[in-house]
Amino acid sequence: MKKCLIFLEKEYEKFCVDLLKTAEEIYGDAYESCALSFDADTEPAEGRFDELITVTDERVQTYDVSVLSGIIGELHQEQQFDSILILATHFGRMLAPSLAMELGTGLVADITKIGHHKDQIEMIRPAFSGKILAGIINTRDNAVMMSVRPGVFLYEDVKEKDTRIWEYSPKEVRSPKIEHVSRREKPKSRDIRESEVLVSGGGGILDDFDMLDGLAERLGGMKSASRRVVDSGKADRSIQVGQSGKIVHPRLYMAIGICGVLQHIAGLNRVEHLIAVNTNKNAPICSLADIVVEGDARTFVEKMIKRIDSGN
Amino acid sequence: MKIVCLLKFTPDVDAFEYDYENNVLIRENIKQIINLDDACALGYALNLKKKHPEIEIEVVTMGPLSVKGLMEDVLRRRVDRGTILSDPVFAGSDTLATSLILGEYLKRTEYDVILTGTQTLDGDTAHVPSQLAGYLGIGQMSAIMKIDEASFLEGAPLVEVDTENHTDTYKIAFPAILSVRRESRYRLPFVRYADLEMDVSDRLHIIDNSVLQVDENIIGTHGSATKVVKTYMQTYERKDRVVVQNDDEGIETVYNFLKENGYLK
Repeated sequence: MKKCLIFLEKEYEKFCVDLLKTAEEIYGDAYESCALSFDADTEPAEGRFDELITVTDERVQTYDVSVLSGIIGELHQEQQFDSILILATHFGRMLAPSLAMELGTGLVADITKIGHHKDQIEMIRPAFSGKILAGIINTRDNAVMMSVRPGVFLYEDVKEKDTRIWEYSPKEVRSPKIEHVSRREKPKSRDIRESEVLVSGGGGILDDFDMLDGLAERLGGMKSASRRVVDSGKADRSIQVGQSGKIVHPRLYMAIGICGVLQHIAGLNRVEHLIAVNTNKNAPICSLADIVVEGDARTFVEKMIKRIDSGN
Repeated sequence: MKIVCLLKFTPDVDAFEYDYENNVLIRENIKQIINLDDACALGYALNLKKKHPEIEIEVVTMGPLSVKGLMEDVLRRRVDRGTILSDPVFAGSDTLATSLILGEYLKRTEYDVILTGTQTLDGDTAHVPSQLAGYLGIGQMSAIMKIDEASFLEGAPLVEVDTENHTDTYKIAFPAILSVRRESRYRLPFVRYADLEMDVSDRLHIIDNSVLQVDENIIGTHGSATKVVKTYMQTYERKDRVVVQNDDEGIETVYNFLKENGYLK
């Protein structure tokens, strides 16, 4: 039976559980899923994985990837995982390469799809800002490693598991090479990945970006932005949609003044309805739309808010 | 103090066009640039050297010999030494193999700290700094927005990292790899006018695998741990779209669509 390890990261537990969908696409049902937690909330993993391995050794500094790589390397010696999946967060993007070096195995970043190449797992990822997709295999006789952005795979068809929970005690714990000094919390805002409706603005509404609040509010949704708006400083990176921002899957996506280059479209995962407002009805995003409004973004937002407020 | 700056010259990816007729990516005539994150790392080092001229800076890159001209431009910014790791057997290396090659060179080099970018424009994986740190057995941090100067000069910098929910400060004692983000806005100084034609050939070093002696079976196109087996065109499902104008009728169409699909309560 194939064995797949999924790293459970604190604060991103739900997204880590979603990686079970990735594992299913690799192996179907015939595999054993293991979650590994150092300091995460293990509750979302219970009843979802076959095994849940915890490491609570007080000597472990969980923020130092070299410490964790050493321990996971030791655990792998014992367990011989066939694949290791890591969420591509800030931390995961350091842990995955550090661990790949530790194990001497290949690593593919930000995969968006799984394929099969002969008998091997083909990891598919966007290349050149999402302009093409590359199918990549691991050539080593070792664990296949990949990282996956949050929200790319969604685990919805949940299978209840009787999770075996056990504690792993590392033999050796490295001393940390970095020291965490302090942390400032950012003001908590809702995550655009959780919104059913996104009213998203691009270059066409750059100067009136805040106007979108009114429309988003009336639709019970949130405002999001293209890279252009974020780079200009009009919006925070946390609401950026796209390959270099977040991957979102709202029911309704309103693309207001967004032309929709591939790197932006790569951020849209299974959007049910798309309305595009653009002065150019042939802008790339318009080919994905249910309705294209050909015209000025600001005028559209003003008129739409007025129409909604006037009711029937 | 000696700083090594790791730099990658990348194609200006956003300038790529896709030839939809022939399903090929047009990569010709695209100019090479210094990867944006890496330029910020070098910018930080050069600005520090301006205040503390005793700091020595070496820029290290891996790539084809065609990057020589770009490297000379880098050296004209008052960089002390430039090293290009170049050998046909390096070509096609994945991130793990690249880290092994860079690591072999760095093991032979003296340095206090390595400054580099977090991710590249073309690969976009952010693997190399963390893999290299693993290989060298030193500390590393990605996505750095700010490096405190005073503590840097003392050999244990405080660095600020911006993640989704927090801003964290870490202290990382040398030797270490610090990877900055382009949003740090550390600027690469321009080449001074008087230095535009400066001869820098005595500061440029080209090193191949006869020096580094990396096992050729674990690097390059054939030896890398990952291998591209296929490329696909990104395809999207086109919908039967309705095109309306920004007039009363158009607004009504959108309004009804929102209503019918339950977006308006």
